[in-house]
Amino acid sequence: MGEPGADTSEPPPPRRFSINAALDGFFFVYAGLAAVWLAWLVLSETFAFGWFGIAFFVVFWLVLAYLVLPRLHRILTTIYVPDYFIGRARTSDGLLGDPVNLALDGDEASVHAAMRAAAWTRADDVTLASSWRIVTSTITRRSYDEAPVSPLFLFGRQQDFAYQQEVLGNPARRHHVRFWRTPDGWLLPGGRRVDWLAAGTFDRAVGFSLFTLQVTHKIDADIDVERDHIVSTVLAANPDARVVILRDFSTGYHSRNGGGDSVRTDGDLPVLDVSDVREERVAAIEESDISDAAPERVRVVPGVKTS
Amino acid sequence: MSVEKRPAFEPPAVLLERETPPPQMRRPIATSFGAVLVVLRALAGVVWLIALALEWDRVVTEDLDIELEPGTDETAASAVILTVVLIIGAVILLAVLAMALLVYRGSNWARITVMVFATISITVAAIDYFSDDAEITLRTTLITLSLDILVLLALSSHNARAYARRPRPRRSGG
Repeated sequence: MGEPGADTSEPPPPRRFSINAALDGFFFVYAGLAAVWLAWLVLSETFAFGWFGIAFFVVFWLVLAYLVLPRLHRILTTIYVPDYFIGRARTSDGLLGDPVNLALDGDEASVHAAMRAAAWTRADDVTLASSWRIVTSTITRRSYDEAPVSPLFLFGRQQDFAYQQEVLGNPARRHHVRFWRTPDGWLLPGGRRVDWLAAGTFDRAVGFSLFTLQVTHKIDADIDVERDHIVSTVLAANPDARVVILRDFSTGYHSRNGGGDSVRTDGDLPVLDVSDVREERVAAIEESDISDAAPERVRVVPGVKTS
Repeated sequence: MSVEKRPAFEPPAVLLERETPPPQMRRPIATSFGAVLVVLRALAGVVWLIALALEWDRVVTEDLDIELEPGTDETAASAVILTVVLIIGAVILLAVLAMALLVYRGSNWARITVMVFATISITVAAIDYFSDDAEITLRTTLITLSLDILVLLALSSHNARAYARRPRPRRSGG
């Protein structure tokens, strides 16, 4: 694409099999089985200590939800979830995550410029420090507008970056969208080339997921609202941005994400073209404060009915 | 670009495939956590050694049925054996601490070694538990066993694996 030399220094493809990797695979599965046993031992301790056993029950839940189930999911989903593009991101456990509901054209600097101009904040990376800060800010309800988002995977890679907008300074409620660069030469189903894929959802609350037994953000089921919010804010703030809508790209998603939240969509996939958005122009526009989306920049491509 | 048709499920051999980590990778939480757990495992060993030294006479007289009278050869020999055991124990614990440091710095062979020993330890405990009905409770060996399992979980995770096997610029003499 527009970045010469980005992928020229790639190392040669590694061998497909090595003893080291086989050992790792063994340890990975063995640790999962050992963790199941550990959960059982902790649970049996629960009944040996009377009221103090409640603490052991909490430990049992932590072990089960954050160690055992993720590892078992990871082993099983490696086998049963297809690894090619199915319009869904995957969680770090390999479960199906948020649906991909937005695509972009343009290089990385343009995407950053367009999102910043549209008043989106780039999310911090997940580290110990930022994880701790998201816990404290959630409990104390203090604002943390660069809060990290959890990693989701597409093309076997974690998102390249994520943007978000906090709602009313409450870290439990936020707009957020993750971006993945597509592999070189990769085409969407149907044959269109896009540079970026993105998954935007709205976190409406922090809650307990009955799916993974973990505490996570609950997302709003109407993901189309969030998708349209992203598109309209980017168009409003960037006169150089255009959008093409692929109608019925993924019609009929009525499913759940990795946390067990249900998801509804009309299946349209907007492709935002931000390749003409430039850092300097964004700065100039912010000064003059123009913000209206011209309707002629929206174009609709009807879906091809193949049945 | 033509792509072969793929089956609807993935082969289990995917679990054996190499990770292809990004060249610039920050130390994942799993690696730091694993190193900390190995240090805790060493501390548990220190506690065990101190307890052994304090209870040594009782262990010798009650468990081994050897009379310890002051001034006899048995008493002198028992003191020598205790010293040797303590020294060997200290050396092993120092090696464990060195392993923790190496794991923290992302050494792959240290990570594999630690996991091999954790696996052996877990397996022995499991054989005891399931065959002899040895009790594993907080008062006996639950703490060390759970440390072993947590070490194995942390260091076998994909992040820790990718970090230990990340491509590194080869330094001269290294």
